[in-house]
Amino acid sequence: MEAEAAEATETTEATTMSDQPESTVATESSDVTATPQVGAVEDKDDVVLRVDDLQKSFGGLTATDHATFEVERGTITGLIGPNGAGKSTLFNLISGFYEPDGGTVTVNGTDVTGMEPYKVAEHGLIRTFQTPRKLEGMTVREAMLIGPRNQPGESFLTLFTSPGTVAESESANLAEAERILEEFEIDHLATQPATDISGGQMKLVELARAMLAEPEVLLLDEPVAGVNPTLAKKLKSQIRRLHEQGTTFVLIEHDMEFVMDLADPIIVLDQGHVLTEGTPDGVRSDDRVIEAYLGGGA
Amino acid sequence: MSRFDPRTLGDELTFTEVLVSVVLGFVALALLLSLAAGRLGPSYFLFLFGLAGMYALLSLGLNAQWGFGGLINFSVAAFFGIGAYGAALMTAGNSPIAGGFSPLIGLIVALLVAAIVAVAIGVPTLRLRADYLAIATLGLAEVIRLFLRNERQWTNGSAGIRGIPSFFEGWPLLGTFPQTMPTLEIVIVVGSPITLGTQFWRQLLNVSLLLAFLGGAFFVLRRAQQSPWGRVLRTIRSDEDLAKALGKNTFAFKMQAFVLGSVIMALAGVFYAHLNLFVNPGDLDPITTFYVWVAVILGGSGSNRGALLGGFVVVAIREGSRFLNDFAWFPIDGAPLRLLLIGLLIVLVMRFRPQGVLPPQRELIWPSAIEGSSTPERPTSGVRERKGGSGGGGGNGNDGGDNDE
Repeated sequence: MEAEAAEATETTEATTMSDQPESTVATESSDVTATPQVGAVEDKDDVVLRVDDLQKSFGGLTATDHATFEVERGTITGLIGPNGAGKSTLFNLISGFYEPDGGTVTVNGTDVTGMEPYKVAEHGLIRTFQTPRKLEGMTVREAMLIGPRNQPGESFLTLFTSPGTVAESESANLAEAERILEEFEIDHLATQPATDISGGQMKLVELARAMLAEPEVLLLDEPVAGVNPTLAKKLKSQIRRLHEQGTTFVLIEHDMEFVMDLADPIIVLDQGHVLTEGTPDGVRSDDRVIEAYLGGGA
Repeated sequence: MSRFDPRTLGDELTFTEVLVSVVLGFVALALLLSLAAGRLGPSYFLFLFGLAGMYALLSLGLNAQWGFGGLINFSVAAFFGIGAYGAALMTAGNSPIAGGFSPLIGLIVALLVAAIVAVAIGVPTLRLRADYLAIATLGLAEVIRLFLRNERQWTNGSAGIRGIPSFFEGWPLLGTFPQTMPTLEIVIVVGSPITLGTQFWRQLLNVSLLLAFLGGAFFVLRRAQQSPWGRVLRTIRSDEDLAKALGKNTFAFKMQAFVLGSVIMALAGVFYAHLNLFVNPGDLDPITTFYVWVAVILGGSGSNRGALLGGFVVVAIREGSRFLNDFAWFPIDGAPLRLLLIGLLIVLVMRFRPQGVLPPQRELIWPSAIEGSSTPERPTSGVRERKGGSGGGGGNGNDGGDNDE
């Protein structure tokens, strides 16, 4: 049953993968071969996240150097680059954990630059973290229930003025959490202590929880770092499934095979700015990308 | 905790819970026996019970801050003092400022002042890392104590405030209840009769008031703990960034927990003013804060039941050590031994049961939401067994905060 489902997605993936270069990105890839794409591709159709001229430096170190790119709704956009290219800084800037020195971040048409992280999340941008965050003393489903946004029971007064509303939404959220856990095939973990599951399972739970927040765009920071190959494959098929259901992803990943297989387009960062953007094949054959990774640069 | 069914009561309790219940049963029995034998005066017993309940109330307040949200508050004594002085200054006959108001107004004013002070200290510190609140509250406790001691024109200074009425003074019926009740004399053991006089009835009223306060606070906190509100706070305690990333306004949640806890502490202070009928700046000594922290850690951080238990145990040691002086052969005075015992207790708890005696063990989901669902009711074993109750500081370095004190 599981295997069949996985196979099914494998085949659909194979077709989409082979289709895509010809149909959607045909013009782009021909561009790449003609004149190499410098910086990100701009003026996309349905932009859900726009990063414009973002800058951030820590003391003398420029971590983000006039980075500009756009994320189109319904894509899985990969963000790659050598160590120290500023990928994580960029994530922190976008999600509001760092305040940018300059530039703007726009989510769904709203300027969220300099907003508190929770405000950015309210506008539909949800992120996960590189190291899975363990929630001590909670069961997995308890940890899942933090996901839904704007729960009536999060207002202290409502707990006493209308407990019925709280109970209703809690039941609905619990049912939804259990449905998502089932889809992720980890419903057997629901009542396990959240600290007792493996790192890979924790990543699955994080992804599942983020889905409960109903994100417009979901930022995944190294979703398969330190995850065993079997679980990584499972994560990949889950991300693909959610993508097919309409979620937009932006992901940082060091596992090239993983990111090349999943993401299209791919944005390459180097020393804080956007080096290029293109299809996995286009990026892979780009000399400047290879040079950046091998550290030729300066 | 979520569903009460007498048939499965035995299965639901963990070993520790059974053990604690049995020990508490024995203690209650011993107290009853000594009451019956006339060894323990009933009014004094009720006074002690009131004191224990007061500590339990303070522990509940601290638990709402440290146990729920990981907020380190070293101002327990200060908020207690605000409650006590607020009530005293509003109601006492010789109060240097207001005076003569009904205790109910005193209660409201005291709680309001506590809430305002909590907000004032929270605004600059709760956005920062956890350590800053700890430092600020450490300072606040001393500022308030020294203010009360030195601003004589408003607070009577170190002389304190006398002439505080009992809480029910002026109420119809209850106001004169202690005087109108007849003095009863019960003889259970021949030769040492038990006398129930005015003093006893007064303490009985006090204890009822305390039970009302405790019950109210416990009800509010338990509901809060099982709610999404409490869940967000637990997330903040483990990992504030995660809560932020999921769209939770962590500052607002922390502020609510801080104010809630502080108001409960002030409530304990109000009760104390009407129990003791005299307050002075000595009541705000930092040792109170220390006792309450011990009670919360002992009981199990994050556990309301634990806070209750901790409050009672601390008072049992504090007051129980007085009786050691009755034994002539015992070479050490009780008072210094008290601190040693409490220190020893906390070392033992940290070494052998870092999560506390009664840590929260069951998953905390709004009870009626689970009843309707088809999934397993709850995990078979306690979900929190593995965890050190003092932990949860995450990257904030809170872990050491509790046992340093």
